[in-house]
Amino acid sequence: MKDHFTMDSPQPRLLDETKQGVIGTPMDRPDGPRKVSGTADYTADHAPDGMAHGVLVRATIARGRITGMDRDTVLGIDGVIDVITDPRMIRNPAQGMAGSAPVQTGDEVHYHGQPIALVVAETFEAARDAAQRLTVHYHAEAAAVSPETTPDTETDDPVTAGDFDSSWSAAEVQIDRAYTTPSQAAAAMEPHAAIADWQGDHVTLRSALQMVRFNKAELADTLGIDPSKVRILAPFVGGGFGSKLGLGPEAAAAAIAAQKLGRPVRVVMTRQTVFDTVLRRSETAQRVRLGATKDGRITAISHDDRVSNIDGEGFAEPVSQASQFLYGADGLSFTQTVARIAATPAGSVRAPGEAVGMLAFEAAIDELADALGMDPLELRLKNLPEKHPIDGRPYSARRLADCLTEGAARFGWADRWQAGTRREGDWLIGIGMASAARSNMLVKSSARVRLTGDQAIVETDMTDIGTGTYAILAQITAEMLGLPAANVTVRLGDSDLPGASGSGGSFGANSAGSAVFLAARKLRAEIAERLGCDAEGLTLQNGQARGDNREAALTELVSEEILAEATIQKGKTAKSHFSSGFGAHFAEVAVNEWTGEIRVRRMLGVMSMGRILNEKTARSQALGGMIWGIGAALTEEMQSDPRDGHIVTRDLANYHVPAHADVPGDMQVVFLEERDDWANPIQTKGIGELGISGAGAAVINAISHATSKRAYDYPVLPDRMVALLEG
Amino acid sequence: MYAFDFEKPTTVAEAVAALADDEAQPLSGGQTLIPTLKQRLAMPSKLVSLTGIAEMQGVCTNDAGQLCIGGATPHAVVAAEAASKYPALSALASNIGDPAVRNRGTIGGSVANNDPAACYPSAVLASGATVVTNNREIAADDYFQGLFSTALEEGEIITEVRFPVPQAANYQKFVQPASRFALVGVFVAKFADGVRVAVTGASNDGVFRWTEAEKALSANFSPDALNGLSVSADGMIGDLHGTPEYRAHLIAVMTKRAVAAAS
Repeated sequence: MKDHFTMDSPQPRLLDETKQGVIGTPMDRPDGPRKVSGTADYTADHAPDGMAHGVLVRATIARGRITGMDRDTVLGIDGVIDVITDPRMIRNPAQGMAGSAPVQTGDEVHYHGQPIALVVAETFEAARDAAQRLTVHYHAEAAAVSPETTPDTETDDPVTAGDFDSSWSAAEVQIDRAYTTPSQAAAAMEPHAAIADWQGDHVTLRSALQMVRFNKAELADTLGIDPSKVRILAPFVGGGFGSKLGLGPEAAAAAIAAQKLGRPVRVVMTRQTVFDTVLRRSETAQRVRLGATKDGRITAISHDDRVSNIDGEGFAEPVSQASQFLYGADGLSFTQTVARIAATPAGSVRAPGEAVGMLAFEAAIDELADALGMDPLELRLKNLPEKHPIDGRPYSARRLADCLTEGAARFGWADRWQAGTRREGDWLIGIGMASAARSNMLVKSSARVRLTGDQAIVETDMTDIGTGTYAILAQITAEMLGLPAANVTVRLGDSDLPGASGSGGSFGANSAGSAVFLAARKLRAEIAERLGCDAEGLTLQNGQARGDNREAALTELVSEEILAEATIQKGKTAKSHFSSGFGAHFAEVAVNEWTGEIRVRRMLGVMSMGRILNEKTARSQALGGMIWGIGAALTEEMQSDPRDGHIVTRDLANYHVPAHADVPGDMQVVFLEERDDWANPIQTKGIGELGISGAGAAVINAISHATSKRAYDYPVLPDRMVALLEG
Repeated sequence: MYAFDFEKPTTVAEAVAALADDEAQPLSGGQTLIPTLKQRLAMPSKLVSLTGIAEMQGVCTNDAGQLCIGGATPHAVVAAEAASKYPALSALASNIGDPAVRNRGTIGGSVANNDPAACYPSAVLASGATVVTNNREIAADDYFQGLFSTALEEGEIITEVRFPVPQAANYQKFVQPASRFALVGVFVAKFADGVRVAVTGASNDGVFRWTEAEKALSANFSPDALNGLSVSADGMIGDLHGTPEYRAHLIAVMTKRAVAAAS
C-alpha cells in the first residue's frame, strides 16, 4: 500500500477527532532514558573491528595551491598508516538539500582552514600528532578575505512592491539606520563525526547528519558511485542547528580512506576543525529604512543587506526574509549583495535570515515608534497587512495580533515606564518586545508504518537531532491507530528506510509527521474494512476498534503484520496561501551602568505555530531558540584574522554561546491554539526556528529602553555598551 | 599528545638536577603547559613534575607573621587554608578558573608563567610578597618583568611565596565569562605604611601597580578618594573580549569596588 499525496487543498482535522488523547501531550521522549544513560549510539560511539583513526589536516593559507607535503617525516611516527589526499575530498560541507557533491578542489586551497588531507593512524593520538607535524608546501596567491574590501561582489535585483522611492521621500517620519552582525557558528554540542566501512563496492557511513536522503546522494556523487551502493546511518545526532544539513569533509575523507585502506576509518572533528570548516553564518551589514505618516502608518519599508560567501556556494543568508511579510507599506524594497571572499564558507545556521535580519529590522521598528512617540506594540498592531505585501497571497493562519496582545498582557507591558528612568543600584532596567515570524514549509517526505496486533513500528530516514522526532512520530502513530505511545517503536536515521525531508528549516515535523500520518491513515482504512465500517466512522482507542456498532481488538483484527507507506509533497496550497509561524517576544534587561554588563532578567515568547504535537519538546525548542536570541544580542561573535581569514574564536571558550548563567530563570513560552489547514494534513507549522526569530531584537529593544541609547552593532558586548553609555 | 620523558622528583634538589637538561621543562599543575603542549606551541622532550615535592606543598605562617605558601600548592588548598589568615587571598584563589583548575593549578605555576590575565600576580604584587626560589628571594616589585616574563632564570624553581598580611585587602575580578580569566582584576592591600594597588588582565606589560590610586588611597582609604582618577588606555590590551578603553575604564570601576569591599 503506497500512498502519494500532494497538498492541494485544506485537509480535515482528523487529529482533533481521534480518541487516544496522546497527540499534543507533553510526553517524555521515548529515547530520553538512553540519552541520559549514555546508551544512545551517536556516531563516534561506534568502533568497528579493525577501525583506524583519521584526523583532518587544515590549510594554513587563504588561497593557492599545494605544491607538496613532507609525508615521510610523519609516516615514521609510530602507528601512522597513511597521509591521504584525493581529488574526491570536499572543500566544505554540502549546503542543505544539495543532493550533490560540494566543491572538490584537488590541490587547490580556497580558504584558511580547508581540509586538505587526512592522516590515518592506529590511534587518534598518533593521527593528531602527525596531522599537526605535517609540513605542507604551498604556492600562495593573494586573496580577499574581508567582505568590506573584496572587489568581487554580486548584487541581486531588488525585491519590490509599490514604489519605495516615492513612498520614502514622501514619508513624514523617516528612520534610516545601518547595522552589523558578526559571523556566527551553529555550535552543536556533538562535533562532526563519521565512520566509513566498505563491504565490496558498498559503503556504509555512520555520520552526524540531519538530512539522510540528501546526504546519501551527496556521498554517492562525491565518490562517483551509484546511490544504491551507499547506506547512511544517523540514528542519534547531538544537535545540528544547520551545521549537519549536508555531507561534510570528515565523511568524504572517512569513506575515501576506508576504501583505500580496506578497513573502517573513523574521523571525528576537533572543536577547532568544526569552527574552521563547517559552514558559518555570514556576517551581515544591513540598512533599514522605514517611512511613516505622523499617525503611525508605515508607508515605506526597505531592508538592504550585504552578506558573504566563498566562490561556488549558492547560499546567501536571507537577511530580509521576514521583513518582506511582517508589515505592510505602500512601497517596499529589498536588495541583497553577496561579497565573495576566501574564507570559511557560509551556510544555514539556526533560522537563516530571521536570526540576524530581525535583530536589525525589529530594532528599527522600535526606533520608528520612538520617533513617532508611539508605543512600539501599538505601532506593530497598527501595521499588520491584510495579505503578503509582496505577492498578495493570503496568510494561511496568522495570530500575530493575538500573540502581541496576549504577550503584552502576560508580561505587564501596560506598566512600561519612560525610557531611561528606572534604576536598581548600579543597574538600569528596561523592557522590550519584538514580533516573531518564520516562514513555514512542506518538503517531500515518505514514511512506512507497520502494525501487528496492537504494536506499531514507524520507519523513515528522518533524523532526531535532539528535537524530539522519536517522540512526535510515536505520538502521531499512537493517536491515529489508537494505541498507547509505548506500543509504537520509531526507527529513524537509516537511508534504507523511506526517505524523509530530514531535519532542517523547521520543516521536519510537518513533513515527516505528515507522511507518518498518511501511512497510518491508510492503516485505519484497512482496519475499518476488516471491522466492516466506514473509515470516517472508525474509532481506535487503547487497542480497540469500534464503528458501526461493531467492536474488536486490534490483536484480533490484525493478527499478521499490515503495513502502509505514504509520501507527501507540497502542492497548490503552497502557491495559494502564505504559511508562517508568528509570535511575540518580550524581554526585561538590566544594564550595569559602570561595567556595561547586560543581564536578561526575564523573557516571554507567545507563539502561534499551528498544532503542537508535543507540548514539552515544542517548549524546549522554543526556549532554545530564545536562548540563541540572547546569544545573537549579547554574546556570540566569530572573529577572524583580517590578513588571512583564519578563524580565531575556534572553541566554546572564545565563541560564547549563552550558558545557564547568561539565561534568566524566568523564561516562559505560551502557545496559542492554532490549526494551519493550508500547511499540511496535521495542521502544524515549523517550531524550531520561530523561537529565535525576533527574540534577540526584544533584548536589544529592552537595552534601548533601559539606557535611552541605541546599539547598531551586535552583539552588544560590555565594551560596546560602556562606549554607548559614555558617548 | 606526542611522546615525551617524564620525571617526578621528590626533593627540590632532584628537580633542579633534572631541569639541568636543556630540553627539560618544569611541570606544576599543568593548567597552562598541558594545553600548550596539545597545541604544539611548546614541545619539550622532557617534563619534570614539581607536584611530588613535599617541601613545596602547603600553607603556614612564619615568625614574621607572613603567610608562606609552597610553590606547588594548588589553588583549592590556598583557598581553604588561607581563609582565616588572609581572606582576600583565599577569595582570589577560590575564584580562579573552575574546580578542576583549582585542584590542579598551583601558585608557583601561575606566578612563574605570569600570564597577563592571571589572578595571582596581582596579589603577589599588591601584597609586596617575596618570591622564594631554589637559590634566592626576589621581591615582587623586581619579579614581574612584563608579559609572560619574570626574573626567573632557566631551571629556577619557585619553592615558596611569602605574603605579608595586610590590615585590609580585597580582590575584584571582572571575569571573562567563558575562560574565567580576569578581563581586569584589581587587588587592593592596605598596610600600616600605605596602600598598594595591583592590576592584572589589563596591560600589554602584564601586572602593574596603579601608583596614582595608591597615593590617593594611602591618604584616604575610601572609594571617594578615587573620584576623578582614571587610567590611560595607552598600552592596555585590546582583544576579542574588550577594547583598551574598556579595560582602562574597568580598572577604576574595579578599584573602587575593591576599596569599598575592603573598608
